[in-house]
Parts: sequence; structure tokens; C-alpha cells
Amino acid sequence: MEEVEVAPPRAHEVRVRIICTSLCHTDVTFWRMKEFPAMFPSILGHEAIGVVESVGDHVQEVAVGDTVVPVFLPQCGECDDCLSARSNICSALPYRPGGMPRDGTTRFSLAATGEAVHSFLCVSSFAEYTVVDVAHLVKLDVVGPASLPPEKACLLSCGVTTGVGAAWKAAAVEPGSTVAVFGLGAVGLAVAQGARMRGAKRIIGVDLNPDKFEIGKKMGITDFVNPNDVAEKTVSEVIREMTGGEGADYCFECIGSVSVMAEAFQSSRSGWGKTVVLGVDGSAAPISVPSFDIMRGRSVTGSLFGGIKPKDDIPMLAQKYLDKELELDEFITHQMGFHEINRAFDLLTQGKCIRCIIWMDYGAKENGA
Amino acid sequence: MENHGPKPIRCKAAVCRAAGEPLAIEEIVVDPPKAHEVRIRIICTSLCHSDVTFWRMKDFPGIFPRIFGHEAFGVVESVGEHVEEFAAGDAVVPTFLGQCSECVDCRSARSNMCSKYRFAVRPGMPRDGTTRFSDGQGRPLHHFLGVSSFTEYTVVDVNHVVKVNPAMPPALACLLSCGVSTGVGAAWKQAKVEPGSSVAIFGLGAVGLAVAEGARICGASKIIGVDINPEKYELGKKFGMTHFINPKELGEKPVYQAIVEMTDGGADYCFECIGLAALMNDAFRSSRDGWGKTIILGVEMHGAPLCVSSHEILHGKSVIGSMYGGVKPKQDIPILADKYLNKELELDKFITHEVGLKDINEAFDLLLQGKSVRCTIWMDK
Repeated sequence: MEEVEVAPPRAHEVRVRIICTSLCHTDVTFWRMKEFPAMFPSILGHEAIGVVESVGDHVQEVAVGDTVVPVFLPQCGECDDCLSARSNICSALPYRPGGMPRDGTTRFSLAATGEAVHSFLCVSSFAEYTVVDVAHLVKLDVVGPASLPPEKACLLSCGVTTGVGAAWKAAAVEPGSTVAVFGLGAVGLAVAQGARMRGAKRIIGVDLNPDKFEIGKKMGITDFVNPNDVAEKTVSEVIREMTGGEGADYCFECIGSVSVMAEAFQSSRSGWGKTVVLGVDGSAAPISVPSFDIMRGRSVTGSLFGGIKPKDDIPMLAQKYLDKELELDEFITHQMGFHEINRAFDLLTQGKCIRCIIWMDYGAKENGA
Repeated sequence: MENHGPKPIRCKAAVCRAAGEPLAIEEIVVDPPKAHEVRIRIICTSLCHSDVTFWRMKDFPGIFPRIFGHEAFGVVESVGEHVEEFAAGDAVVPTFLGQCSECVDCRSARSNMCSKYRFAVRPGMPRDGTTRFSDGQGRPLHHFLGVSSFTEYTVVDVNHVVKVNPAMPPALACLLSCGVSTGVGAAWKQAKVEPGSSVAIFGLGAVGLAVAEGARICGASKIIGVDINPEKYELGKKFGMTHFINPKELGEKPVYQAIVEMTDGGADYCFECIGLAALMNDAFRSSRDGWGKTIILGVEMHGAPLCVSSHEILHGKSVIGSMYGGVKPKQDIPILADKYLNKELELDKFITHEVGLKDINEAFDLLLQGKSVRCTIWMDK
């Protein structure tokens, strides 16, 4: 925990006071990475909720005092991709590791020495204040202690939205489908929920941790496969057996391991089976798929944020929570103050939590502020 | 009532006795069709690169002696028991991909991969695995893809036969039996190319050129052909190609970079029509972030796996493979025949050479030297 100076927002930027943030495995992936695009020193964190403290020039979308959810994926609203329903990869503001999207520089420096501190995924939420480009901000009117509590809204900033979005947009799961979800962390559990919301008949969860089945059931998982318990068989063989020899209609990889991506592909049904890759493999290794197998009508696709457009779809998911169509409470397994942040890393890397909410002002939170 | 059913037929066939060796014209015996089978008198056939792939293959599923050929046009000579769909005299094309019309896949619009009789490269007939061919010494000859069309007569399972409009010229109907349907189908059915799209095609053989033709009739605005044979430039233009890239003339620049530059970010649809994992990867890298779709049609000639970046795929790209370009033979081949007959689809330009059965090895030479698109092999010439 160090003291940093957070520069004022420049044009098209907003300075945000973070209320709470949560740890996502992608933070851990980059935290472990020794080389570019990881950069050090940096402020990690990209799943959060906050309040606008000040705005730079040309910012009309939000005003001081607005509740906002920062997001790692931009939506400029004007480029071909933002204007198309088919894409959520904004082409106007490509990612520039370590800095702000428009000029690549950072707004953070160490208070003691003035040394620059890199930002992360254009969010950097492990700080009491951060500066975020307006394209990376979603205004959320419905947040308040009586309506959508901030710790729930925080989940929509990355993991849960990615999972629910993937079932809905990237895959477009149809009612009656059979779905397999590899990795039952927050993203995988959110995929299960999203698949259930889309009417999937069978949702097979795959995880090495048997504790995930209980929480998985609450999210819609109907069958559980533990790769440690399948003896000589492969997971794909087991899934094909479970599905009458065919394989699942949709397979989601929610870990970030190319070997699991390959296994997910093998578990998909020939004819129309679709494998959706959501996990980020830290080694940037390639996915390897047998060429004869892909000839049988199977496809592999991937998405960032499950294919959703942040500014359009996050408010819609918030409303679904309020309408009791989307379950968010079960994702939060731990809550703590900012100073305990390393405990969140321990819990996640040990597989002991789903989401740890880290409050900037835990005292205020406990007092119901 | 005595059984005056069909008898074995003695006829000529081009037999391959060892991997990579020229075919020999031999007299063979073709058994009568069993239940659910038809015997077809082949009128003409053509050589497809997939024949070449398995002709070269020493190890299983390569197997010898074998009668190759799977792209053809013929007339039904006799039918086996329980065959109601066809009668002697019907004009038909045999197809390497079966359609039972009953299983979940056949009944779904989303799939063309019949799950009742799954596709496999087998030495025998799909239902019982046995052969209908024997040579002059009575020794068995293996089938290929359930078609085996390099022969005057063949026996094909009823799921692998499609009736065609008798108004179709035989050599053109023959094209719909594999390569052209695969390419046109891939653009039309699998990719569903929209008007104004940009398309990149790796490999301008019959399949790649058929993709171009399919993209053209779907209204694509940019059709980029990629081939190391410079002669394909003039040829491609006849098929609607708007841009040509010869990777050998790019110097240090990788092909995908050239395509990304040409399309301002990547093509909407990329088709791999050769069968090389490295090109499949190039095709993937040439596709556009957000929605770029890569369609794999080529059968990988070394069995190498397709490898794509696990990071790049997160940007909304997808890869799909198919057999036959997603075409369901029994309904889509007649549709393609109609498209030809009402002048929407052009087929004549695919045929660049013709030979008689006795000169079938010339067809192999022409294809391997990159000099032909399709060489029609006439049985009666």
C-alpha cells in the first residue's frame, strides 16, 4: 500500500473515487507475468464501481456525483464496430498497455518520488482514485443501498457480465441446449447462469475442485465432472458419454488454458458444436485443434466481455438483477477492507473464493453508509 | 417367381494398386446392388484433390488396391431391395457425404453431418463394410468414400445418391458432386456472405474458385484470391476475384498483413481451400476483429493440427470447418442445379480439360502441375 498522486482528468477523461473493487483472475494472470504486456510498477484491478469526482474537457456523458462502473473494454459509440451489432471490439481505441487509451500515458505517480506508475486495462481500480477514459465508463443510475448495492454492481464490471454475456451474445444458447462449462470460477458460474436464463436443458460443469458443485447447482449446473475422478478417460470422452455419444452443443472455456480449450473443443458436438473461449492464457500459447475434427461442422470462437457492449448491456443486466432474473449475491464469498487486498489474492489463487469485494472505506461500509 | 434380379457386370475401371502409382485400366466385376444400394453407370467423372491426398497415402486410411474418384455423374442401372427413391434410368450424382434424412443432424438445418451413418474414409460400403468390386482374378478392390467413380459402373448406398434435373449437362452436373458445391456452399450456406462483404480465399483450385463464384453471387464487394501460381490471377478474374496476392511476391511481408492492409483491418470471411495448417493460421490472422470468420475447407494433407492464437480469438474471431461447405446433398445440389439452369450460377468455366478413361493419368498430371481446374473424364470416349 503506497501513496500515489493521481493527476487530474485530461480531455475525455473522468477521475473516479472507487467505492469497491474485486479481484478477477485476469489481474492475477498479469500480476504473475514477468514480461510485456505486463509492466511494473503498476496499479492492477479492473472490476469496480465508483463515483465521479471530476471530469476533463469534452465530457458530457457523466457528471460529478454520478455512479459509474469502469470497464476494461471501450465503447466509443462511433466506429464501425461500435455501430455494428456483430462486434463489441471498439476499433477506435485499441488497448495501449500501461497507459490511457488516447495518449498512452499514465495519470499515476509515486507521491514520494514522482516515479510513474503504469495503469492496467484502462481501469486501475486498486486505488482510492483512478482516472478512466469516458469510453471505458458505464453510468449506472440504479445503484444505491436501497436498489442495487454497490458490491453487486461491481460484479457487472467484468466477470459476471462476461459469463452471462457469453451464453447470450457470443454463443446465443437456445432453449433445450446442452452446455459444458470448463472452470467454475466467477466467469464459469456466470456462464451457467446465463445458459440457464437462455433455457439450456443441461449444464455440465467441469472443475477440479469438488466444492464448486454446491455453488454451481445454485447457478444452474445440472451435472458435474471432476477431471481427477474420471480414471483413464478424458473429460471429452466423459462428456460425450453423458450426451449419448454426441457431445455438447456449446462448450465454454473459462480458465485460460490452451489444453483445456482443446479439450472443450473435443467435447463439442459435430454438426454444430460451438466452443467459446473466454479465458486468457497467460503464456499466449496457441490453441491446437485436430484438422479432421474441425471439418465436421464444429466451430471455435472467443470473445472479450462475452460479446457484450458495455454501455448498452451492463445497465440491462443491472435491471435483470433488480427484477430477480439474475442472481448476483452468491458470487460474493468474502468482503474486506482495502488494506487486506493481498488476502484476496491468496484466497483466489488457493481456489477458496469466488469474488472478494474490497472496500476502499470498509468502516463506512460496515456502518451502512 | 424366379429372381431375375441384376447380375454382376464386367466393365473397365481405373485401378490404383499402390500409393502414388499411375492407375491401370483393368477389367473388373461389379456386383449387383444389395438392399438400400443402387448400381450406377458412370457417364463422366472428374479428379478432385482429395482423391490425390488419399492416392498418395501409404498408411491407413490409405489402402490398396482401390478405385478412386468421388465426383461424377451417371445414370441408375439397377436398384437393390427397399430402394424407393430411385429407379433405373434416373440421372444422378453420387456424393461422398451421406444424408439419411432421419437422424437429428439430417433433420436440422444447422448440420449436414449425418449422425446415423457418420462420415469416415472406409474401404467398403457404409452399411456393411464389404466391397462390391473384384478384379480379373476375383480379388477384392476397395471403395473410396462410398463412391468410387473411376469405373464404368459403381455401386453406391442410396444415402449417397442425389437425383439431378436431366436438363443439366452431364459434365456440369458432375461438378456439383463435390468441389463446386463445396466452394459455393461454403460462401452461400456456411459463411452466408452478405452483399458488400470482403472475402479472402487461400488456394485457387476448383474449391477456391467456387468460393469466389459463390461470394460473387452473394454480392461480396472484395474477393481476394491468394495463390502461389501466378497463372491463377487471370483465371481468378473470370470467377469474380477483385484482388490477387501471390505470397511469393510479398517479400518479407506476411500474407495476413497484406490482407489486413487491403481490407482496413481484416476480411469479413476467410476461406482455406488447400489443406495446410500454416495457411489455415494465415487465414485466421487475415480475418477481421469483431466478427471475422474463417472457414476451413481443405483436408490437411499431413494431418497437422490447426493452431490459432488463444489471445487473438478473444477478439471475436471464429473458425469453423465443414465438409461440403455445409451443403445437405439431397436438397442443396438440386438448388445449385437450378441456380445454374436459371443462369445465376456459372459452371462451364470450371472445366478446363477433357480426357477419356484410358488417359485418366493425364488428369492427375494436369492437376498436380497446377494446369487444370477440372478435367472431365468421359467413360465413353
